[in-house]
Amino acid sequence: MAKIADTDKPKRIVIDVGDGAAIPSKEDVGLFTAWRVAFTGAIAIVAYLTIFNPDPYWKILKFLPDGILVTFQVTIAAIIVSLVIGLFTGLGRISKNRILNGIASLYVEVIRGIPLLVQLFYIYFALGRIINVPAMASAIIAMSVCYGAYMGEIFRAGIESIPKGQMEAARSLGMTSAQAMRHVILPQAIKTILPPIGNEFVALLKDSSLVSILAVSDLLRRGREFAAESFNYFETYTMVALVYLIITLFLSKLISIMVDRVGANR
Amino acid sequence: MPTDKSPVMVEMRNVYKYFGQLKALDNVSLDVRDGEKLVLIGPSGSGKSTLLRSINQLEKIDRGHIIVDGVDISDPETDINKVREEIGMVFQSFNVFPHKTVLENISLAQVVVRKRSKKEASEISRELLNKVGIIEKADKYPEKLSGGQQQRVAIARALAMKPKIMLFDEPTSALDPEMIGEVLEVMIKLAKEGITMIVVTHEMGFAREVADRIIFMDYGAIIEEGTPEHFFKNPIEERTKIFLNQIL
Repeated sequence: MAKIADTDKPKRIVIDVGDGAAIPSKEDVGLFTAWRVAFTGAIAIVAYLTIFNPDPYWKILKFLPDGILVTFQVTIAAIIVSLVIGLFTGLGRISKNRILNGIASLYVEVIRGIPLLVQLFYIYFALGRIINVPAMASAIIAMSVCYGAYMGEIFRAGIESIPKGQMEAARSLGMTSAQAMRHVILPQAIKTILPPIGNEFVALLKDSSLVSILAVSDLLRRGREFAAESFNYFETYTMVALVYLIITLFLSKLISIMVDRVGANR
Repeated sequence: MPTDKSPVMVEMRNVYKYFGQLKALDNVSLDVRDGEKLVLIGPSGSGKSTLLRSINQLEKIDRGHIIVDGVDISDPETDINKVREEIGMVFQSFNVFPHKTVLENISLAQVVVRKRSKKEASEISRELLNKVGIIEKADKYPEKLSGGQQQRVAIARALAMKPKIMLFDEPTSALDPEMIGEVLEVMIKLAKEGITMIVVTHEMGFAREVADRIIFMDYGAIIEEGTPEHFFKNPIEERTKIFLNQIL
């Protein structure tokens, strides 16, 4: 049984830096990561401004939460729908069925070739002449359709990263390709897929500011409304930027914790 | 010991398979009877793995017929998944599922495909782990196991489906030398139980001990076949002699 010891050794290769340990370890710099500096800095600035200059900063901050809520609604809805679209697009892209594969590939190529802002205009204003889609729904549809294409490519790459032998083993046991996908391939692919998907979530959150050009009162639009009435452009957009920064940093932290969890649980 | 009267489990009739210009299988015809232990040998690229993989249609043949336990798998109407349930396969690279424990590896297809309850599947899995000698690893993940142990998990996983035929595709080629023995031991034990086995291997000691018949392939065709006795004492074809000289 001595052989087992071999495989029990940790896989991580530890590079021993001799004198001076020139390369600081991850733990040593932990306190001053860029993330912490940015996050605490942003919160400190917001706190400072609202406490020492309540007019207009406190007024601005009070005006924004409705918009934050809408930004969250659009983002979360679009994440869920785009994940579903992305999964099926990814499966379509690897499908041997030429029609499915063709549709998925065409969708990815077309959507990735059109700017999101133009897609938003198109669904709301251009299609709006034929069927009347509410602004909020248009926003969610456009974001989902756009991000679904990108996520489809991530799913495809994740699925393709799993060695072919895994699918063969599953199929040789009599599983259908759908069963093999569900029980064998996707649970493994998720580890590869999650980090880039997380990046897409953050990007989606930021891009949700584009929906403010439709009649959707998201964070940015609320800011615009306030600025237009009060003429406090500098102050308002400073606050808007800081709030976006705090939310984005928070979300990206959440995602990296999630990614670590998934990576660690095997 | 199979006899001429044993039913035919695998029948290949004039099978051709091409990879582009390359003829991987060139007019192969073959009968494997119930309970027979058939060993396929030949140089790499000779088509022996392709032959094996065509039996459960991991490779689709271009021409000819393959009939497994009375079912023509080259017929597009055939539900290949049903046929595969009856054919266990063991791969050179093990292909255990890294995200599942050893026990889950063996239980998964029993639950998903055979529709056994989780409890029933676990019982069968434990029984099989006992048989392949690694019951103590039941709750470990494959990455904690040696290659030999992973391959034994893969064998148990295939056996859990209660297959009628077992296919082995160079099961010991990816193993460190000291682990080959433990895998061959399991295979020999299995052979004695009377299941039909088709084995691609370079382990001539195993072939000598277990095989009812050996087939030598080269360039996608069957060059020579016979008992181990025949192969080790007086092979006829020149290519067989050269090959055996190289590996023995």
